[in-house]
Amino acid sequence: MTRRICAVLTSFVVLFHSAGFASENKLLPADTLIQDAIDHYLQMGIAKNGISAVTHASDETILRRTTLDLAGRIPTRPEQEWYKQRLPDERREQLVDRLLSLPDAAYHQANEIDSHLLSNSPYNGEFREYLLWATKEKRSWDQMFRDMLLAKPEEGPLQGATQFLRTRIREVDDLTNDTAILFLGINVSCAKCHDHPLVDDWKQDHFYGMQAFFSRTYQTKKNVVAEKFFDEVKFKTTEGEDKLASFMFLTGDVVPDATPEFSDEARKELEEKIRKAEREDDSEAPVPDFSPRMQLVDIALRDDHNAFFAKNIVNRVWARMLGTGLVTPLDQMHSGNPPSHPELLAWLARDLKQNGYDLNRLIRGVALCEAYAGDSEWTSAAEPPQDQYFAVARTRPLTHRQLALSLQVASTSPVNWPAAEASDEWTQKRESLENRANGWARDFEQPKEDFQIAVDEALFFSNNARVYDDVLRDSGDRLIGHLKAFEDDAQLVAALWEAVLSRIPDEEERNAAVAWLQRENEDRVEKIRQLSWTLLAGPEFRFNH
Amino acid sequence: MSDPAEVEHRRQALRDLSRRGFLTTTAAGATAIAADMGHINALQSEAVTKQLKQNDTRVILLWLAGGASQFETWDPKPGAKTGGPFRAIPTNANGVHISELLPQLAKRMQHTAVIRSLNTRIADHGGGASLMETGRVRDPGLDFPDLGAVVARELGRLDSQVPDYVSLYTSTEGRRKGTSGVLGSRYAPMFLSDNMIPLNLAQLDAVSSVDHEDRAALRDVFARKFSKNRSSAAVDSHMSAYQRVRGLMASEQLFNVENEPAEVRARYGPTQFGEQCLIARRLVEAGVPFVKVARAWWDSHGQNFETHQELCADLDHTMSVLLDDLSERGLLENTLIITLGEFGRTPRINASLGRDHFANAWSCSLSGHGIRGGSVYGKTDPEGNTVVDGEASAADLFATVLQALGIDHEHEYMVGARPIPMADFGSSPINDVLA
Repeated sequence: MTRRICAVLTSFVVLFHSAGFASENKLLPADTLIQDAIDHYLQMGIAKNGISAVTHASDETILRRTTLDLAGRIPTRPEQEWYKQRLPDERREQLVDRLLSLPDAAYHQANEIDSHLLSNSPYNGEFREYLLWATKEKRSWDQMFRDMLLAKPEEGPLQGATQFLRTRIREVDDLTNDTAILFLGINVSCAKCHDHPLVDDWKQDHFYGMQAFFSRTYQTKKNVVAEKFFDEVKFKTTEGEDKLASFMFLTGDVVPDATPEFSDEARKELEEKIRKAEREDDSEAPVPDFSPRMQLVDIALRDDHNAFFAKNIVNRVWARMLGTGLVTPLDQMHSGNPPSHPELLAWLARDLKQNGYDLNRLIRGVALCEAYAGDSEWTSAAEPPQDQYFAVARTRPLTHRQLALSLQVASTSPVNWPAAEASDEWTQKRESLENRANGWARDFEQPKEDFQIAVDEALFFSNNARVYDDVLRDSGDRLIGHLKAFEDDAQLVAALWEAVLSRIPDEEERNAAVAWLQRENEDRVEKIRQLSWTLLAGPEFRFNH
Repeated sequence: MSDPAEVEHRRQALRDLSRRGFLTTTAAGATAIAADMGHINALQSEAVTKQLKQNDTRVILLWLAGGASQFETWDPKPGAKTGGPFRAIPTNANGVHISELLPQLAKRMQHTAVIRSLNTRIADHGGGASLMETGRVRDPGLDFPDLGAVVARELGRLDSQVPDYVSLYTSTEGRRKGTSGVLGSRYAPMFLSDNMIPLNLAQLDAVSSVDHEDRAALRDVFARKFSKNRSSAAVDSHMSAYQRVRGLMASEQLFNVENEPAEVRARYGPTQFGEQCLIARRLVEAGVPFVKVARAWWDSHGQNFETHQELCADLDHTMSVLLDDLSERGLLENTLIITLGEFGRTPRINASLGRDHFANAWSCSLSGHGIRGGSVYGKTDPEGNTVVDGEASAADLFATVLQALGIDHEHEYMVGARPIPMADFGSSPINDVLA
């Protein structure tokens, strides 16, 4: 067995390096600005492969894109005005800093983490309470990982952190796989039945080794996540031999089993106590000295092992903001599937680690890089460059929550928003906006990798009464009420485009829209409603581009 | 409804609009709407129906939610201590006996093959249903699509104007929605959660038909302008979702049993299961590749025999009418009917005269397209405790179903870097029940 582990380790190390996962000592200096490091490494790839990149997107597009990514919604009209008044050289950085200082940033980050970690149990109130508290407190990512994996019984918002394990506690395979996929970027599930056929890194020992960290975890009658004192994970190898799993991390490193010896009597007594804790409300679970789950958290965060942990979240934030991961698919971070920019991933992971796993710092850097500001249109007759060069901005579907919030913003009368500077008023508005959007978000699908828009959504926009009666309601506080006050059709059209698409219509669009409004024999308000619908149900609104 | 002349006038106005300016590159915007309506109505005509019959294969899954007893359906054991009070009766297939609770189906065994040797091992509702919906044990790292999504993807047409996977509700079933998993939302079921008509299929009264159609055309024009230089599968999916709206709205009528002649409705009967099976027939006739109709709740832990008396009567009648109706319309040769639940029920009769969950030796049936009617496969011991001949797994059943539909069961979907065969590793079709 020892020999086998060594063999695995050796092959792992060799592959890990040969496959282009960069070593840290050749990277750009640590004090480089994040955006400069990104520009440097992406430019290298573009230059080396003779790729032509697009120019910058328009100011309006950058404002909309950044606001969606950092605040989770489209910009309001006062925000559009505010942006125009900044000096051109400074406005992007000022925008990013402003958005990160708004309450929106915490809401949006909580929403994103919620979708990422608890898509198996959406709209879980306890978990959301924890996430909102954590993002408002700017809790670091490694600390959140500890909160969720240690799942200690706590009072207050920390209590909700236990939901990550509790929603999966019936299935040790779910605990194992989801932790590996969501926190470490690794899907080891195909090593369950056999050594991974394509990836030499992973053997059955790894799958069951990871499972061993979770096999003692259970839930008490009082819904406390607890651990048993002993349990062994056994599995059958493909050769049919029975094998005992060690506590083996993905790197092949093994945590020594420090389970104490128990007399038969002591075993029985402990088993009885655990049985009681599982069944009785007033029974406390006994706490073992050796906690495999705590060992997993420690080894995953240990300085020489946290490449998986840091790289996973860097890759996921990157994919969220640029549409494609540096490693893709996101759960296949292994030697057989190297990153498009190994040095960049290594640099960003090191930067995150050295700066206390501060995700907002990473998000700020990505939002300020050149690739983030690129145009999403490819107008050349030549084939567009492949996604992995990040030479053209990706058109990304809004999440269900971004879409719900943006619908709320777009359908509100633009004059109803507080000035961009007024913060107390905005904090209140934002909270009620979030609550209203929650009801709508349930009607939209939560996007996954390679998301497709289902026909259900098109039917919803086309025929659901709430779209007509609420989003398109004719009242003074709503978009339609605001628009119908315009006497001049061209001005009306411009106001509509600004409210929904955050930009001015071009001439063709304005002509078509004005012609629509000037059709005869029809109720004017109805024409305004249907014209607004053509934008709200359109792809330009549906996507971040 | 608006005057047709007025509709034409508005359309013309839009065309004029396009000539004036920005539609030059996107003329398809206006023509797309002209083509999309009326497709469903065309299906009513004899010629189109015939053509569809030749080309397309469909599936109706009759899902016996909760788990029906094999003893009271396909594998009776009269006289055994596990057999219960009901007799076995002969069928029109030579030497084949089934429970006396299915007398109508006994006269129609020329369409149906029975598999009596399922050993699927999982005997809890959630795990069993997931296994029998996807043909494999749930794998946490892999979101595998259910049979409906696989069939929708393999047999449906991309540009289809009808839904390609419809799942009809039953309130007691726990509303298992079905999943298209890694195949994506395009193949997700149109799920009817509490009504016979799918959500958002009917046009709002407040929006006129003309407006509904014209605004869709204008939306399309703006949409094409946006997507022209942004190639992306997600953007394309948005485009095609909206292009399917009006076709699907026309299919609303397929869900309305009022459109059937009174005698046909009387034949199916006024029960929920009967009406849903009639809708299923209407849907497959119009080209929907996969329809699931769930009938609940077979979970007879107490009073197994009364429960089965009632539920089997409904199944016997409705499935027989469905077989007859499809057969008379020439559709049965293209339609596979799968009658299946998540598991069977225990040989042991418990103290409440019930039978509990049992997955080690149970039965299902396949009828119609690709099936050798009148055949029986596999055997259980005299008391029904174990399979003694022809043991079949869930994966074997899936391989059989896929084979019957002409789909290679070994074909692999690539999920990330992982090749996943459509029917699980190591499965093989049961050729004895295939035509």
